This record gives sequence, C-alpha cells and structure tokens, in this order.
Amino acid sequence: MPALPSFVPYLIHTLFPPWVRRPTEIGAEVMMVAGGAFIVYWLLKYKKLQWLWNEWLTTVDHKKIGIMYLVAAIIMLARGGLDALMLRTNLALPTAHFIGASEYNEVFTTHGTIMVFFMGMPLIFALFNVVVPLQIGSRDVAFPRLNAISFWLFAFAAALFNLSFVVGGSPNAGWTAYPPLTELAFNHTVGENYYFISLLMTGIGTTITGINFLVTILRMRAPGMTLMKMPLFTWATLNTSALILFAFPPFTIALLESLLDRLAATSFFTLSHGGMPMMYVNLFWLFGHPEVYILVLPAFGVFSEVVATFSRKKLFGYPSMVLSMTAIMVLAYGTWVHHFFTMGAGPAVNVFFGLSTMLIAIPTGVKVFNWILTMWGGRVQFTTPMLYFLAMIPTFVIGGATGVMLGAVPADYQFHNSYFVIAHFHEVLIGGTVFGLLAGVYYWWPKMFGYKLNDRQGKWAFWLFAGGFWPTFIPQYWLGLEGMTRRMYTYPLGMGWHTLNVISTIGGFIMGAGFLVLAANVLYSRRHQEKDLTGDAWDGRTLEWSIPSPAPEYNFAVIPTVDERDWWWQEKERRRQGEKPVVVKPEEIRPIAIPKNTPVPILLGAAFFMGAFGLVFSWWDIALAGLVAVFSILIYSWFQYDHYRILSAGEVRESEELLGRLGA
Amino acid sequence: MHGGDDQHETAMEPGFDFISPRFEEPKFPMHQVWGYAASLVLTFAALWMTVNRIMSPSVLLGVVLAMAVAQGALQLGVFMHVRESRGPAWHLLPLGMAFAIGIGLVGMSAWIMLFKSGVS
Repeated sequence: MPALPSFVPYLIHTLFPPWVRRPTEIGAEVMMVAGGAFIVYWLLKYKKLQWLWNEWLTTVDHKKIGIMYLVAAIIMLARGGLDALMLRTNLALPTAHFIGASEYNEVFTTHGTIMVFFMGMPLIFALFNVVVPLQIGSRDVAFPRLNAISFWLFAFAAALFNLSFVVGGSPNAGWTAYPPLTELAFNHTVGENYYFISLLMTGIGTTITGINFLVTILRMRAPGMTLMKMPLFTWATLNTSALILFAFPPFTIALLESLLDRLAATSFFTLSHGGMPMMYVNLFWLFGHPEVYILVLPAFGVFSEVVATFSRKKLFGYPSMVLSMTAIMVLAYGTWVHHFFTMGAGPAVNVFFGLSTMLIAIPTGVKVFNWILTMWGGRVQFTTPMLYFLAMIPTFVIGGATGVMLGAVPADYQFHNSYFVIAHFHEVLIGGTVFGLLAGVYYWWPKMFGYKLNDRQGKWAFWLFAGGFWPTFIPQYWLGLEGMTRRMYTYPLGMGWHTLNVISTIGGFIMGAGFLVLAANVLYSRRHQEKDLTGDAWDGRTLEWSIPSPAPEYNFAVIPTVDERDWWWQEKERRRQGEKPVVVKPEEIRPIAIPKNTPVPILLGAAFFMGAFGLVFSWWDIALAGLVAVFSILIYSWFQYDHYRILSAGEVRESEELLGRLGA
Repeated sequence: MHGGDDQHETAMEPGFDFISPRFEEPKFPMHQVWGYAASLVLTFAALWMTVNRIMSPSVLLGVVLAMAVAQGALQLGVFMHVRESRGPAWHLLPLGMAFAIGIGLVGMSAWIMLFKSGVS
C-alpha cells in the first residue's frame, strides 16, 4: 500500500479532532451529508438547478430575499431548538451525564449565538424585506444589490458557524465570548475563531441592511406618506435600523480585537500584557443592549399591525406609539452597564445605569397600554397572529417587571449570572420577539405566498408553543433565587433543584412539539393551499394589502398617492360608501425599471466564506486567496454598468390584466 | 426617486452658504484619490509611532487620538460628501445626532472604565 501524502493525517487531525467525533457530532454529520445529497439528487432529478440559480440564488428582489431569510431562520430555529433540548435533557437528568461538561459548554454557546444572530436577526430581516417596501409603496429597497449581498454574507456566515460543530470544534465560551476564556492561552481549539469570524461576516451584512432600510424608508415612501402617516411596522424598522447603525461598530471592534488577540498575538484583552478584559465586556454590551431592542422593536411593530387589523380598529394612540418607540431607541443606548453591575464600577456609575434601565419601562408600558386599548371596543378576531399577541402581553409584562428588578443594583448583585437572568431574558426574547415574529410570519404569509397557513393547525402549534413556554421559564426564576447559576451542566441531587428542572425540561419539550406542529402546518398548508385572490387576506389596513398576493415583481403598477394613515382601510371605507374606487388606470402605467439578477452577491458570500475558513485554521494562503477573490468580484462588479432591465408599459398592463387589477 | 417631505425647497439664511444645495460631479475623482492617500498616511503613521514607541505613552495616546479625529473628518468630507447635497442639508441633523451618540458612548465608556480605584 502506497504511503499517504503527509498532509492527509495533518488534515484529518486538524479538521476532525477527537471532540468532533462524539456521537452527536457524527449524527449531525450523517444528517448534513444525507440532507445535502438528497437536495442535490432532487435538484438534478427534476432539473431544477437552472431554476434555482435564476429565480433564487442570483435574485435581488426584496420579496424573494425575504423568503430566503425566512427559510434560513426556520432551519436555524430548528438547530438552536435542538441545542436547547440537549441542554434541558442534561439538566433534567443531572446524574446521567447525557452530554459531558465540555460538550455542554459548546451547546449552550451555539444555542445562544444561533438564536440571536442566525435565527432572530434573519427572521427580522425576512419581515423587513417582505413588508417594508410594500408598506411604503415602493418598488424595491434603496440598494437592491447590497440587499442581496447582506443576505449572502449572513447565509455563508451561518453556514460557517454551523460547520464548526462537525469540522474543527464548536466555540465554547458562551454567546457573550468574554475574555480571558476566549484567549488562546485558555482556549486552544479553533471554535472561538469560528465565532468571531462568522459574527464579523454577518455583522457586515447586518450593518448594510440597517443602512439600506434607513435610506429606503427616508427616501422612497409613496407621495403623501409623511413620517407620521407611516405604518407602525415601518416605524419599527426605521428605529431598528437606527439602532443597528450605532450598535454594530463597537461589536465589530470587540470581535476584531479578540480575533487579533488569538491570531496575531496582540493583547487587547490580555491582562498580563496590559490589556483590559473588562473593555471587551463594555464594548460587547455597548452593542448587546441595543441588540435586544433590535430584536424586540420589530416585534412591537408586528403587534401594532396585528392588533389593529384583528380588532378592526385603528391603532390607539399612534403618536404616543411613535414617540415611545423612538424613546426606547434613544434610551437603549444608555443602559448597557446593567449587564455588568458586578464589575464594581462604583455606586455613581451603577446608579446612573440602574435608573436609565428602569426608565425604559415607561415607554414600553405606554405601548402595552396602547395595544390593550386598541382592542377596547373593537371586534376582536382570534386568529393565530392575534393569539400570539394576546400571549405576549402577560409574558412581556412579567419579563419586563423582572427586568426592572434586575435593574435595581443591590438586588442585581444577588441575581447576577443566576437562572433568574436566564428566565428574564428568555421571557422577553421568546415572549416578545419570537411570539411577535411568529405572529408576523402568520400574518404576512399570504402576502409572501398567496395563501394562508392553516389556522386550526396554527392554533395547535400556538397552544403547544405558548403553553410549553410557561412551565419552561417560570420555574427558572425560582431556580435562580435558590442559587442555581447559569451555564452549569450538572448539580448534586440534594440541592433541591431537581423538581423545578424537570418541570422546565418538560415545558421545553412541549415547545419542541409546538415547533414540529408549526413545521407540519407549513408543509400541509403548502400542499392544500386555498389561493387568496383578493390580495387582502385579513381585511388589512395598510398599503401592502392593496396589491395582489404574492406581489408582482414590480409591486405597484402605479405608485399610489397616500393622504392619510391606514390609507387602504380608508379607501375600502370610501368604496363601501359607494365612492368610486381608486384603481389602476391603464393609461397611467409607465415602463418600470427592474434591477437585474446578478451572481455578484452569492459569489461575494462564497469568497468571504473561503477567506474566513482560511482564517479559522490560520491557513494564510487560503485566507489570502479569499481576500483576492473578494476584490476580484468587487472589481468585476464595478465594470458592470447595465443594472436594470425595462419592463415595458405593455408588459405591466398585461400582467395587471391577468391579475384582474385594471379599472376602466 | 419619489421622496416624501424632502421635496420642499427652503431658502437658506445668509451665513449658512456652506449647507446650501451644492453637488459636485468632477470628471476624475482627484479629491478621493488624495483623501485615500492621506487616510493611508494617517493610519500607517499612527501604527508606526505606536510600534516604535517614539513618545511617552500618554503623549502618544493624544497624538494618535488627534490623528484619528483628523481622519474621521477627512473621510466625512471626502468620501461621505458631507458638504454636498441636492436639497436642503437635512443630513446635518442626523450627523449631529451621530456625534452626540458617539461622544456620549465614548465618554461614558471612559467614565465606566475608571473604576480601578474604589471598587464597591
């Protein structure tokens, strides 16, 4: 037998070290390979490769990009959820050691990171992309190609992060990745490299998205739609984008400096060389606290749309809603120290940030009261999105109140790093963000695909998910008060924590069942679709419901002129009173410029992926090749001048005719 | 492009000429070339001074900070076109806000990190 070339054992040793050869990793590997093989087989068998490339991979259409974000987010929700169930199983069986200490560290790290950056953020961007241009009466976002680049940077970063599970080893220092635990001296595996590099990559995409939607909303609204006539979801997007713009730079610096500490032997956060580990914590939470509002403000926007639509009333207190949301945006920048009161920055600093934390409860409270008062006297329809809204009110109020408790500095010294904190932020992030985004997905599903998700199954999924939520997280408050700290993989049975942990785990599995029903709901509804031909599946109020579902690629054949809030509702009201409807007049249709498909975004993502993969393993030649590839693609795209194709007025007219939209 | 309320033209007060509508479109972006070169010089000069420790740390910190501010101003002027606009200079408002937030965050971070004495 000829001897293997020397690099083969090196590669096997580096790519597949012992800690990625445990049963769970092997299982994941088999699933990934089998799944990938099945997708390739399916694409080849049905000759779908060309279709996939032309319709999806190279698209710059905001609606399709939104759907791709949605698909990615749901896949990531499945993975993050599996991680969570592994953690919960370990804690319900503290003597069985279902997964060991080091694997537990890796799983809680990937659970947190995936849920925040690769599930929450893309699900938010899915709704931004699908909804915002339609809500403001625009034909696309301001920079369609940059929008696709954002998506592909995210997608390849998510792929890179998930690859760490089976190639090289997962990160294991928690989703916050504090030094010194992430420093090379204490953490030899490549896991943390994966963490820093994939988050840097997706951070670039996120920042671009923030800029893109700021410009879109400020510059591309339909004529007559002044700022105070914008729908609330658009307001939420504007505020979220403003948060992204300033929150991500400190994060980028923190990640980059940590990465340099690991790869280039700098010592930004190495105490023994004059570095300042607490500066990482400061920079991380400078980003981290605005980040939680980045996650929750879009959910507030969704609820504002959902509650108005299904109460069949206009939103109560629109100006105060806008004001409180903007106040949250500003205040969100001034509270970050409450994540590390125990650093001991001194009473003056801690009191300042304790007070600013409590202050945020005021605008949030205003919003909750406004939503409740919107239902007051309305005809409330209990659809699935509305159920998620109703479930959010108690969870968010309790989660918010415990947040104020955590903001009280002396008490925080007791709560810090305990399960009380875990219970608090899961309660606001699931009870606020996830409920909100799921409500948004159910609400805008007909706009994306042209049919509703089955409501009966949706309610089953809801009751399992929201019903499992309470037994999962409420016991964790008591666990925290009884002294159980976060991130422990086991505990002695005599501590008195076992019963509460078992209840919590059972709740977790009920939520998992809820996710399965949700997935089944999507598949079933896709197979048994009832086409919505009106384009206005819920009797909606805002501009996106005035066009067909799914929206044609040009969105609006003629951009409407808006003169009031809830223009579409008022227009329907006028029609009911027998006034002549505002319809598309054939003679008003003009040629429309549509941005062309381009392979640049996906290639750029792939090039970034290659460079990042090289950096993870410190293979500098591959990293350099990736950098060269990035620049080559950029230079190639600089010399492309022909970005638009023209849809002639005749083609638009024909399409509108087919959709039954043309008036005389 | 169809904007909302940014269509109205407002007459500028005298003395505010520098924010009146103004838009440059030169044939060759010479400004940008110089700006790019100057940015590189400022960056590498700072790196060189730090690596070779040519001054005492506190003085060096001041010099590097000053160079950073200079480069920020340079990039705002050259690449962000801060002195140009097609309409009224609305961009100065968010720019001011950005400075307020930025200075606030940096200032408060400095305040927070001065905790070494008097740990509570």
